[in-house]
Amino acid sequence: MMQERLRKYVDSLFKDVPLTKSIVELKEEMIQNLYEKYQDLLKSGKTEETAFNNVISGIGDVSSLIYDMDLTIKELSDTGIQKSAAFTSVAVMVYIFSLIPIILSLQYNRIFYGLVGFIAMIMLATGILIYNNLKKQKFYRTEETIVAEFKEWQTNKYDNKVLRISISFALWSIIAAIYFIVSFTTYAWSVSWIIFLAGIAIEALINVFLLIRR
Amino acid sequence: MSITSDLIRGHTETIILAQLYNHDSYGYEINKEIQQRTKGKYELKEATLYSAFRRLEKAGLIDSYWGDENTGARRRYYKITESGKSNYHRLIKEWNSAKEMIDSLIKVEGV
Repeated sequence: MMQERLRKYVDSLFKDVPLTKSIVELKEEMIQNLYEKYQDLLKSGKTEETAFNNVISGIGDVSSLIYDMDLTIKELSDTGIQKSAAFTSVAVMVYIFSLIPIILSLQYNRIFYGLVGFIAMIMLATGILIYNNLKKQKFYRTEETIVAEFKEWQTNKYDNKVLRISISFALWSIIAAIYFIVSFTTYAWSVSWIIFLAGIAIEALINVFLLIRR
Repeated sequence: MSITSDLIRGHTETIILAQLYNHDSYGYEINKEIQQRTKGKYELKEATLYSAFRRLEKAGLIDSYWGDENTGARRRYYKITESGKSNYHRLIKEWNSAKEMIDSLIKVEGV
């Protein structure tokens, strides 16, 4: 199929070029015109191979044409990425250090304060992650490109996943801490497990909220 | 031939505006017309042609739209704008005065 052969050839000319809307249209336009020229050459008695080579040699140098199309895709600014990474690493550090109050409190037999400290630090770290997520520069599209659309969709999907995991992690750490605090202070071990049921309900509510927001 | 080609290439935009002045057209048709008018001596490279289309479109001298051929193939048509028409007349005036000047400059008495 000659149209496919021409398409393959034109694709090879543009293989290093981002697939913007204007490039896709240019390629379609080129293939159509090249094909009509090819058919006219066949009608004038040329063989398929000669006609194809004739059409190909008429294309000329497309590099200046590509340059003219003014392709600039600005991705996330470097400073934005660095800031976001810094926030994330601080949050991870706070998560790790949240074990320190528990270890200390075990040494001094003050498990209650240790757990309070633990909850406070987990909440702080999750707060940082959520703040970072809300503030984070989204992937801005400067051009109507399929690639950019895909990237935007991917970053959004990834962001949502991170948000959900960090919320879930914080929730269950806090619930576990509350369970121990309540149980150790009231000694009502036979009832305090209900706290976990409450946790499941809260997580379900958060999921519903996230779904509605989307 | 190469000097002729270079001279003509400098007027690619005027040539395209002239082809579109009376009716809308598309890349291959314009190139075919150029070939016929020059009796097969001159033909634009595709890359040159599309570069010129993009420049003219950016400058607002032509518009483009996709045709809806029933054959399944879709041509991209170009249409001259009002600004394109007035620019065409200006370019023709410029060319005529340049031609006169060059003629008088390269003329040698008695040859």
